[in-house]
Amino acid sequence: MLNYGDLDWKVIGAALLLSFIGILLIMSAQHHAASSFERTYYLRQLVWLGLALISFVVVIHLPLRLFDLSAYLFYFVSIALLVLVLFIGTSRMGATRWLSFGFINLAPSDVAKLAVLLGLARFFAYTKLPPASKQRLAFSAILALIPIALILKQPDLGTSLVFWVILFSLWFWSGLSPLYLLLILSPLVSLVAAFHWLAWALYFLVLLIFLFLLRPGMVFGVLTVIANLAFGIITPFIWVRLADYQKLRILTFLDPGCDPRGAGYQIIQSKIAIGSGGVWGKGFLSGSQTRLDFLPERHTDFIFSVLGEEFGLWGSFLVLVLFGVIFYRALRIATRCRSRFASSLAFGSAAIILFQLFVNVGMTLGFMPVTGLSLPFLSYGGSSLVMSWTLVGLIVSVHYRWQEY
Amino acid sequence: MPGTTLSLPYRERIGLVMVLLILLIATGGLINLQILNHEELTTQSENNRIRVQPLMPSRGSVYDREGREIIDNRPSFTVSIVAAEEVRKVTVPNLAQLLGFDTLKVRKRLRKNMVSRYQPAPIKRDIPFEMVAIIEEQAARFPGVSIQMEEVRRYTSDLDGECFTGYVGEVSDEELNRLGRVDYRLGSMVGKKGIERHCDQLLRGHEGTAYIEVTASGLCRGPYKGKEPTPAVAGVDLILTIDNDIQRSCVVALDTFCCGAIVAIDPRNGEVLAMTSHPGFDANIFSSVISEDLWRDISNDSTHPLLNRPISGLYPPGSTTKLLTIGAALEEGLINETTTLKPCYGGYQFGNRYFRCWKPEGHGTLTTVHAIEQSCDVFLYQVGLKLGIDELHRYFDLCGFGSITGIDLPGEAPGLNPNSEYYDNRYGRNKWSRGLVLNNAIGQGEILVTPLQLAQFFCGLANNGVVYRPHLVRKQIFPNGEEKTPAPEMAFRLPFSKKTLTLLQESLRLVVEGDHGTARRLRTDLYSIGGKTGTAENPHGDNHSWFVGVAPLEKPEIVVCTIVENAGHGSDVAAPTVGKVIRTYMTKKIGSDEIALTTHGSDH
Repeated sequence: MLNYGDLDWKVIGAALLLSFIGILLIMSAQHHAASSFERTYYLRQLVWLGLALISFVVVIHLPLRLFDLSAYLFYFVSIALLVLVLFIGTSRMGATRWLSFGFINLAPSDVAKLAVLLGLARFFAYTKLPPASKQRLAFSAILALIPIALILKQPDLGTSLVFWVILFSLWFWSGLSPLYLLLILSPLVSLVAAFHWLAWALYFLVLLIFLFLLRPGMVFGVLTVIANLAFGIITPFIWVRLADYQKLRILTFLDPGCDPRGAGYQIIQSKIAIGSGGVWGKGFLSGSQTRLDFLPERHTDFIFSVLGEEFGLWGSFLVLVLFGVIFYRALRIATRCRSRFASSLAFGSAAIILFQLFVNVGMTLGFMPVTGLSLPFLSYGGSSLVMSWTLVGLIVSVHYRWQEY
Repeated sequence: MPGTTLSLPYRERIGLVMVLLILLIATGGLINLQILNHEELTTQSENNRIRVQPLMPSRGSVYDREGREIIDNRPSFTVSIVAAEEVRKVTVPNLAQLLGFDTLKVRKRLRKNMVSRYQPAPIKRDIPFEMVAIIEEQAARFPGVSIQMEEVRRYTSDLDGECFTGYVGEVSDEELNRLGRVDYRLGSMVGKKGIERHCDQLLRGHEGTAYIEVTASGLCRGPYKGKEPTPAVAGVDLILTIDNDIQRSCVVALDTFCCGAIVAIDPRNGEVLAMTSHPGFDANIFSSVISEDLWRDISNDSTHPLLNRPISGLYPPGSTTKLLTIGAALEEGLINETTTLKPCYGGYQFGNRYFRCWKPEGHGTLTTVHAIEQSCDVFLYQVGLKLGIDELHRYFDLCGFGSITGIDLPGEAPGLNPNSEYYDNRYGRNKWSRGLVLNNAIGQGEILVTPLQLAQFFCGLANNGVVYRPHLVRKQIFPNGEEKTPAPEMAFRLPFSKKTLTLLQESLRLVVEGDHGTARRLRTDLYSIGGKTGTAENPHGDNHSWFVGVAPLEKPEIVVCTIVENAGHGSDVAAPTVGKVIRTYMTKKIGSDEIALTTHGSDH
């Protein structure tokens, strides 16, 4: 049995508080809904919280060694589920993301997040290759790219980004210099900069100087330059070929006001909800944007807007602080623990939550595009909640067993 | 490869910096929206949920001088479908069957008029009340069907009063710019013609506002509690000077003719007792949706039903203004009542032109009074020559011709009262004959007057020279019960002395009561009538027939001016018409059936 006094109660407490705040917000979000099914979403979330806590308790009782040993098996099972969902998955709004088990819908992509985290953590724990070696980078990238490809096929661009984040965060945590990370990410900058030839030319010049000073090796350097050139040239080419609605989506992200009735509507309404909440908020169940249906997807993707409207700046800031507690503790644990595998688990778990928080909150505040990533602990959704609590379980477990090798 | 790894404490520090950075960015975003842009976004959130709904005031009703309806409001029902509540294969087919449409037409209108799935989309306006009753009683057969009520104008139909009532219509862009956008907005109803237009500000009342809370899809969630609604203020009711009985007698009197107009005025105060333009149109057609076909028929009709004949129809006055010519000459001392001029042998030679008298066998030698009584042209030609064009013009001007009367109706025409300057401009200096004055002296030539102007002139004659401004509004009754009665306004005084006026009044009497009077057939023993006939030559067709009658002559109370277009002699057509109107007035005044019985014979 565990010695419960030694568990990291700060993390557990923060996660519990976030979960209960989430249930309150879901209740408020659908309080005035027409159908009783929608009005009782919060009760179902409460049930899901129970399941999530069971998962959490199971995770903290399992020895870390078991995760280590079963990491690859788990990885292959989740890949199999991802393949399966493409064939027999349930479709909603044009995307096939769920496997239906009677009354429960399971999103294999949530399982895959955990699996990729375990797989990569195990790989980085035992490899003898230096952090910047090509084989090491290539193998770990393949581990991440397989689920990414399968998830893009669903299609679900937002979730696939999480896998990139797991890959990059573990590359970084296992010792790859951030400068190399920057070089690897540089083609993405090219992609954006290429919208204006002068901006891209300047950026490319800076990149060349950077490469000259860093001298990362012939092959790496040449690949970086080629990738940047390719992305820089491809972008304008792709842009011309994009369908109008795709262009509109990108333009809407850059300027939500350009199409206030269509694609920009959600972002505008979310900003209005949060902004009108002010410092103190309009009060529980009293947000007019929420109550009168102006907020879209308010119990899932835009739950943070409900928070901003009804509880204002102080409520939103409190939630950010609770998340901060989890990140800070996770980082401390990842630094302190002795096992490389456990350290990667703790860091990666925090990175997944941090990334989803950033993208989701950024979307509700209007500086990130609409991706459909949910807010951990707060958004309505069973597998998301179970997944978040499993990650918390890993962090708490690593904390509890920090001395194990 | 060198320098590729980073020590653990460094990585932890970078990690912490990342976490802090992201939380700071999020906090910054929150502060930006919730503090810096709070006010603007609050306004937007309020605009989102509050819909301002105008509360329409009841437009003022219009009554005749005895309080009988001329214009009032009636409810008009519009049937609509709320798409969100519609039941497939029930709502649309049942409604289509009730309205007598096919289902496709109903579907089409639903699609075209739908603003949101939760707001009623109008299918048909102004449906009969029986249909409303069916829809209300059998509500189960019409799920999602709703009825909206609005008030529309109802014009008492047998009055043919559209020449003074006018009508209302949706405000046009040009009117919006002219009237200002405070009281009027797109879709407001505004008076387009007549009293509806002249008194629009009084009649329309003031819109109120209600604030209701709506959801994103436009569903009403009840009143918004943050703001008190302002109630609508009903419009002012008007009592007109019109007498519906006299108005109806005018309509009946003109009914058998193609085109014409009647104006009846009380000379003691300028109150317009009746006014009709024939043929008219039914002002009620503007209350519901006017079809393009109907509108085309009205506006292309060769009898011009849209022409407001009493105030903007222009006609040569013919012999009716001979009194004015004589009066002018008397005032100027060019003739006196016993003056005899060259005798009439059926015409008058002026220069190389021969001007005919209407009576080919001639009138012989006449004194002034008898010249009017028999309407002798030759006598008038000579008087005209004595006066000259500009002197005649001056008297026409002083008697109110050539300028609007200022009646409380829009669209009045000033008519035409030419002087030598006018002829210079038209024909060139010295390129016109002085003989034109001969025409003007008998009310022909270029002179054009409206029936209202002519009636006004005769009011002056009947009222010893004092002319009251013709008007229609007798009393304004405000919604709070307060009443306002504008005093009759004296417009001007005829340029005739008492002596001249007495003589002119005597000649009015002789026209009806004299042995040779042109309107002898109007004579009755029960009350005294005076008047003047006129037969206006019309270059475009048959002569117009004029008559202006005054009764009772000792103390005149009513002046009736009639024109019947292309109907021949004034004595034959217009005079009996006036006789009927005056009989209605006098019957009502004396309250005796006897009059109706006795005068019946003398008409024929």
